Amino acid sequence: MEKKTISLSVNGQVFSVSTYVHKTLLEVLREDLGLTGAKESCGEGACGSCTVLLDGLPVRSCLLLAVEAEGRAILTIEGLASGPRLHPIQEAFVEHHAIQCGFCTPGMILTAKALLDDTPHPTEKEIRRALSGNICRCTGYTKIVEAIKAASRGEP
Amino acid sequence: MDELTQIGKGTRRVDAAAKATGEALFTADLSLPRMLVAKVLRSPLAHARILRVDTSKAERLPGVRAVVTSADSTGEKWGVFRYTQDQAFLPADKVRFIGEEVAAVAAVDEDTALEALGLIEVDYEELPAVFTLEESLKPGAILIHERNPGNINVHVKIDVGDVEKGFAGSFYVREDTFTAPEESYFQAEPYAVVARFDSAGNLDIWMPNAGPHLKAKPLSNCLKMALQKVRVRKITIGGAFGGRSEISPADVVCSLLARKAGQPVKLVYTREENSIATRQAHGMVTTIKTGVDREGRVLARDITCHMDGGAYSSTGPIATSVPFLCMEQAYRMENVRYNGFRVFTNKPVKGMYRTHGRAFACGVDLQLDMIGAELGIDPVEMRLRNARQAGDYTPTRSFVPSCAMTETIERTAAAAGWKEKWGKLPPFHGIGIGCNSVQTGFPMGIRGGSTAFIKFNEDGGATVISGVVDNGQGNENMLVQIAAEELGLLPEDIQLVTADTEVTPSDPGSYSMCSTFVGGNAVRLAAKDAKDKLFKIAARVLEAKVEDLVARGRQIFVRGEPERSLAIARAIRMALAKGESIAGEGAYWPKVDPRREWVENPYGQLSETFSFGTTIAEVRVDPETGLVEVLETWASQDVGFALNPKVVEGQFEGGLAMGGQGGMLTEYHMWDGGRLLNPSHAAYSLPLASDMPGINSIIVESHDPTGPYGAKEAAMSVAMSAAQAYVSAVSNALGVPLKEYPLTPDRILAAIEKKAEKGG
Amino acid sequence: MRLPPFLYLAPRTKKEAVEMLSRHRGTVGIVAGGTDMVNRLRQRLVSPAYVMSLKGVEGFRGIEEQRGRLVIAAGTTLREIGESQAISASFFALVEAAGLVAAPSIRSMATIGGNLLQNTRCLFYNQSELVRSAAPTCLKDGGQACSAIKGARRCSSVYQGDMAPVLIAFDAEAVLRKAGGTRRVPVAALFSGDGTHPLTIEEDELLTEIRLPFPRGAFASSYRKLRMRSGLDYPLASSACFLSLSKKGVIDRARLVIGAAGPAPLAVEGGAALLTGVRPEEADPHAAADRAFREAGAIDNLLLPGAYRKKMVKVVARRAVEAALAGLRGA
Repeated sequence: MEKKTISLSVNGQVFSVSTYVHKTLLEVLREDLGLTGAKESCGEGACGSCTVLLDGLPVRSCLLLAVEAEGRAILTIEGLASGPRLHPIQEAFVEHHAIQCGFCTPGMILTAKALLDDTPHPTEKEIRRALSGNICRCTGYTKIVEAIKAASRGEP
Repeated sequence: MDELTQIGKGTRRVDAAAKATGEALFTADLSLPRMLVAKVLRSPLAHARILRVDTSKAERLPGVRAVVTSADSTGEKWGVFRYTQDQAFLPADKVRFIGEEVAAVAAVDEDTALEALGLIEVDYEELPAVFTLEESLKPGAILIHERNPGNINVHVKIDVGDVEKGFAGSFYVREDTFTAPEESYFQAEPYAVVARFDSAGNLDIWMPNAGPHLKAKPLSNCLKMALQKVRVRKITIGGAFGGRSEISPADVVCSLLARKAGQPVKLVYTREENSIATRQAHGMVTTIKTGVDREGRVLARDITCHMDGGAYSSTGPIATSVPFLCMEQAYRMENVRYNGFRVFTNKPVKGMYRTHGRAFACGVDLQLDMIGAELGIDPVEMRLRNARQAGDYTPTRSFVPSCAMTETIERTAAAAGWKEKWGKLPPFHGIGIGCNSVQTGFPMGIRGGSTAFIKFNEDGGATVISGVVDNGQGNENMLVQIAAEELGLLPEDIQLVTADTEVTPSDPGSYSMCSTFVGGNAVRLAAKDAKDKLFKIAARVLEAKVEDLVARGRQIFVRGEPERSLAIARAIRMALAKGESIAGEGAYWPKVDPRREWVENPYGQLSETFSFGTTIAEVRVDPETGLVEVLETWASQDVGFALNPKVVEGQFEGGLAMGGQGGMLTEYHMWDGGRLLNPSHAAYSLPLASDMPGINSIIVESHDPTGPYGAKEAAMSVAMSAAQAYVSAVSNALGVPLKEYPLTPDRILAAIEKKAEKGG
Repeated sequence: MRLPPFLYLAPRTKKEAVEMLSRHRGTVGIVAGGTDMVNRLRQRLVSPAYVMSLKGVEGFRGIEEQRGRLVIAAGTTLREIGESQAISASFFALVEAAGLVAAPSIRSMATIGGNLLQNTRCLFYNQSELVRSAAPTCLKDGGQACSAIKGARRCSSVYQGDMAPVLIAFDAEAVLRKAGGTRRVPVAALFSGDGTHPLTIEEDELLTEIRLPFPRGAFASSYRKLRMRSGLDYPLASSACFLSLSKKGVIDRARLVIGAAGPAPLAVEGGAALLTGVRPEEADPHAAADRAFREAGAIDNLLLPGAYRKKMVKVVARRAVEAALAGLRGA
């Protein structure tokens, strides 16, 4: 089995990782870097739980080979808060009860961040469309949408 | 009563921030030193005798540390009751469904584990298999379990009053049959287990569960260990929905591997394994015969239900009963007969699902619509005339202490604008209603009660120790709110130690909707116990009577005289200084009839109380494609009292998405014999954010006499009443009653075409 | 679930890429966006010795105008296509189609080339090893007979790509490069119609560009996609339509293409013929759609029954035509 040493830029830090080339970015983040916020829920790129931002765009880290992510800026959920201070979107999710079991939450929050970075004041329709690739089994999405609306208004 | 300061507020959940940052650890996130990776070898045959399992090549593969087969297990069989124990983990004799566990390996990494699986040789002798209710019940069909003639796993028989007389005296009688295939839970978190034995023979085990204490005892049986040495540990859990209460083969297999390897082992299921090798929801065929008087009041009902249970019993007797029980709680009927059959098939095992039997619940309610149509009575009125009332006894003799079913119907109908809409909407635009009820805490034998402890720190903080488990619904927060309220502290003063069988006392788990009613009550009582001790001290210091004291805002003070106060922290230190221990203990057992048994004696108090709810849905159908657009929904439930309204709303919303949007429009299993063709997201369609309608949540409070602060269970009935409302609404939109579920576009289109042919 | 082990190739130029494809002929799985290939790897539907990622190939992304044609590099993402003004102006249906594929984060990764060259799909074929091992190997998987129609000797797996019907409606060309040279084929010619080997691209060829001739005068295009949910899913029926008007106001060029109705996207010549030579007000979308219906094949091998999906071909084809006609009125 082939191994490669790659340089991954994650949450502003550069890591040198020696990895099998057939490992996905999701696996390397979780197993080699201990960043377990991105989750595997479907194993086929359908659910969005593995979402990370790659150069600001949301991607399915379970469909990316780790070796392909070299040279790109990766943002995981762990890179969002500033120490004890939550990112406004995280704050909004907590305030508006947009989190129940929490398994889809990291992917959901990063997807929301990418949306608001691109469209600071989205309509509800735009929000729901942006979330259409993130599956939540617990919330029915209602409060997730409310949280993102609140975050877009600059509220917690 | 003193004003509440914590309870009843939509305060932030205590577990939310950790989940928002990715700090919260789920089982698959755990990493222990020297941890191995496990994989399971599964049967590719639906029904076969196991002739030979040869693991020698796998054992010799470098990097493999342990391989287990039935030879490593104790042969203990699982079933929720002794009389239904039929599932061996790692069976020795035969496999009974595609995907059943046959062997497992633990290796240094996943690649090695996968390679090792390929080196295990298994010889099977294939047997004929049965895959449908029809095949399984056919005379002469092969028996899946020798001791179950006709492949009948469970027959629940209930007969109350005189059903025949009731029909004879009815103004109108009709009989209809409703069908639905199996569904999947699709919890966001795929099942996973981490197990570790220490040198003293203690097992630490983590897995998503709906009751650690419910897991620990069967594990101790299967592993032949003393219960105290089986320590099911606290872990963040990604959803249960009824499918994670029982011990799982994964739990036992992972433990056996850990013991054999002498190293911790992690076993993580793929999405497919989660769908095939844990639990699924029963497929059902339900025939309902109902007789009513001229005013649409039900005089008699006779229901026969056949459920496809898969290959093993699991929670058989309970699963076979609950759909009926929900109905008999929701609606009044003096004469009712029920024959519920759970039938074995060579398919994955079925358990209890949050939407208890869509082909049952939807059938009952749709039939009320149909009867109403015959009699000229609208669906809302039909529900009102048959609604359960407080003070009633259900047909199987449960007393209903609190019930606001009528209020849920009236308020939901008003909010939805029912009067302005029903019968007045354009073609293919419909509105419908569903009502249901759920037990709050049914008997769980010696594990039916919850005990809680509270300890104090000398600076005024408290720790609550409780077996209550949180699957994501907000149970941890509920305990903090209750403890803070009762103790007069703030939520940030309360720490929690929960769901760890080494530390926490027994608790029934979130199964059967117990957590608030039973676990919450136990914590409230423990807090009260602790507070009484503090009050005795404060009474002396403040020269007041204990009954005149109030605890609030970290102070104990005389009611009406806030200046006469003593800080709680001081009271604690005073106790400690005098050599007095200061801690609280409380226990709560639901008052149920201990003689009631699911099969032998299905009569008597089933659970201490019940919740009731109504959902209304408004839909538009595209007559060219049969696709349904859900315009808006209104969901209500009598929750007794909403301990946290935001949490309760979240439960309504999630329940509606699962039971209504997914359950009735897009979720169903497709089979090729014993093979599940849609175990993953590729072909099993969960609702998306862009599919969901607006949801208006209406919280109704009947203030239960014994629930903590009057609270009952929150929102399980919405999953079912939403399913019912969706069917009622789409049927209304088409002007055709739809009896086959889910309402996929092809079925809807076929119904539209059939109606057009008939000239309708 | 871990992917099967493979050796990794990461060409920096198209030249390098085709040399590698030639050198390791037949043993390379190509990953562009990864949204098709990685899943197939994980399910062990394929186990190539090499996996080649195109993500680092120079000049493999971009949209530019070249002498009367819009040239889209094969590695351009669907997101980029959806946001392109140039494409929106002349090839609106392409923007529509790109925006309907899967989910936003998939569109950030998926490429037009990868979407075009996706393999055909079937409920019985696209499964994990666990599910496939419990039944005889199907025809597409290398076995003797079809599993969807038990015993059939023909594979009815379905081509579900969203971009292909639209590209065919625009008369697009694909540029295929190999170590020996380059060839151009109409996009429609990329598809064999054989479910077991649905693509005509050779093992040592790389799709490098899609070239679309700019339509002239007044024209309109549309894409309609049917699925159970409002996102995420592959089409269960789909149709693309292109119409252009002569100076006299008569439809002089019509294209009607259906997807998800067999192993290849299908240009419905009969339907297009009915729309040609008439004024838009006289065009009959129903009749054109009826032709599409008659040519569509659909069996029970995806979500929802084949009979339903076949009916839906007529609905989406008619809606695509109606939308294009409406577009002409506005053009």
